[in-house]
Amino acid sequence: MQALETKAIEVTDLTVAYQDKPVLWDIDLDVPPGVLLSIVGPNGAGKTTLIKAILGLVRPAAGNVLIYDKPYEAQRRIVGYVPQRGTVDWDFPTNVLDVVMMGRYGALGWIRRPRKQERALAMNALEKVGMEGYATRQISQLSGGQQQRVFLARALVQDSTVYLMDEPFQGVDATTERAIVDLLQELRENGKTVVVVHHDLQTVTDYFDWVMLLNIRRIASGPVEETFTPENLRQTYGGRIAFIKNE
Amino acid sequence: MLQGQLEIQLIAIVTAVACALPGVFLVLRRMTLMSDAISHAILPGIVLAFFLTESLSSPLLILAAAGTGVLTVVFVELLQRTKLVKEDAAIGLTFPALFSIGVILISRFAGNVHLDMDAVLLGELAYAPLNRLETFGNDLGPVSLYVMGTILLLNLAFILLFYKELKLATFDASLAATLGFAPTLIHYGLMTLVSVTTVGAFDAVGSILVVALIAGPPATAYLMTDRLSRMLLLSAVVGGVNAVSGYWLAFAFDVSIAGSIATVTLLMFGLTFMAVPNRGLIAIARRRACQKWEFAQTMLVIHLFNHEGLPEAEAESEIAHLHEHLRWDPAFATQVVKYALNNRFVLQKETQLTLTQQGRTIAQQALVQ
Repeated sequence: MQALETKAIEVTDLTVAYQDKPVLWDIDLDVPPGVLLSIVGPNGAGKTTLIKAILGLVRPAAGNVLIYDKPYEAQRRIVGYVPQRGTVDWDFPTNVLDVVMMGRYGALGWIRRPRKQERALAMNALEKVGMEGYATRQISQLSGGQQQRVFLARALVQDSTVYLMDEPFQGVDATTERAIVDLLQELRENGKTVVVVHHDLQTVTDYFDWVMLLNIRRIASGPVEETFTPENLRQTYGGRIAFIKNE
Repeated sequence: MLQGQLEIQLIAIVTAVACALPGVFLVLRRMTLMSDAISHAILPGIVLAFFLTESLSSPLLILAAAGTGVLTVVFVELLQRTKLVKEDAAIGLTFPALFSIGVILISRFAGNVHLDMDAVLLGELAYAPLNRLETFGNDLGPVSLYVMGTILLLNLAFILLFYKELKLATFDASLAATLGFAPTLIHYGLMTLVSVTTVGAFDAVGSILVVALIAGPPATAYLMTDRLSRMLLLSAVVGGVNAVSGYWLAFAFDVSIAGSIATVTLLMFGLTFMAVPNRGLIAIARRRACQKWEFAQTMLVIHLFNHEGLPEAEAESEIAHLHEHLRWDPAFATQVVKYALNNRFVLQKETQLTLTQQGRTIAQQALVQ
């Protein structure tokens, strides 16, 4: 008898509430290894909260999250996180290379300082996002797209198996968006699992192979071609969706 | 220099540096007001410990006060977490409550003891050397120098050991949490240090100066550098310089040393704010002024360029006509022409302006953009 198929992320019956107001109701989500999944849904659907709950940053009222069959605390080393760009203070006195090296802190553990090796890994990650020329730049001098790339590099340098990204396309120009998409697809080709909170419905079919439709509860999740249907979208967004073409 | 003077300055420097180091992280976490709150809220801790030990120099006082300091942080955060009160209001509610408990305890039970509010609030550096550490009749120096020296070493050790963790938790607490670095633990570790530092410092220099020492040098250093490690170093240096120059200012004008150091701290910040390269007010004003002249000069060369070689060129390039055509004030026009002449973008023949090759290039570039 074959063992149950391993899932990269397995969310079961997850409910998150602030005070008594539910933000996520009884979410079930299975993400198989090696997919590039986007989480879409209207504002206030709980997309960011779902990511944070997977990462243990918010405490669920009920439910369970497993990463490769183990709780998050046991799998920190294999999970990389790209928070929303606006969550940190970009006037912090530090430079690009330093921020990227923070991605290695988890592997270093307490007290040990980053050394030459971490520096080299960080430079390598900066090259992958096309930011190697900005290594010594103060972070307040970066544009929005450049800040986003730095955050991506910081996650890449963790060399994780699973990546969770909160709106990596927010406020970036078309070139940067293209570069980020290429990077995400490259990660998937290398067998990584990538989960992305996404806003732009127009690009879902182009960029991703899996999609989860979320609006406080899970409407649907699965391969894009089966899941990203007008009916599911109507359920997710209510009547407020006019720009999806019927093909 | 008398030994007393030397000791006062040493105490001032050690205290300033001890405050500046954790102050850097408070400034970056936008929590400097918390040090103000802590410095007042520790009073009931001091009073209660005093009742227990009946001594003002017992180390228990520092521990009790530090405990109350951490309690202040806990109270503020509990209030804040209800989402019914914002952080500033939570601070404003918590510390006066604790402080007033201390005041009531003193006035009710300690009316005839030597524990008066002035000493607690203002401290007095000038008297600091009077309280000496002695063993078997040997004078080892002022007590507060030892107390502050120990606290300084403690702060230094904590920051050196956990530099990476402090940096990460301050810059991006959620990443710190996902990587397993317990940002709450780091936060309370830092706040415990701030409490201990505040208590120790405030015995020597009073609570108002403590806040100046914690907030002033880091805020000054923040303007001077883009690197955290340098900000720490510069804060320490600025704190030390402020302490010594404040002392001598107080000596010269025969005023309170604590008040004088606080004043110098403010002056030093103001001076940096004005004069620091690139982001200081003077640099910004100069850059703005430059932009204004640059832009006017560009307008001038484009104007000349557009009419160059055309029949009306002669009239258009008459200096006197600039204010008519471009609606420039004559004085301003003269300045702009002088600026462009200096840059060799135009040549002046009597009252006529002509473009140089350089000026033509500038005009073309500006038009292409």
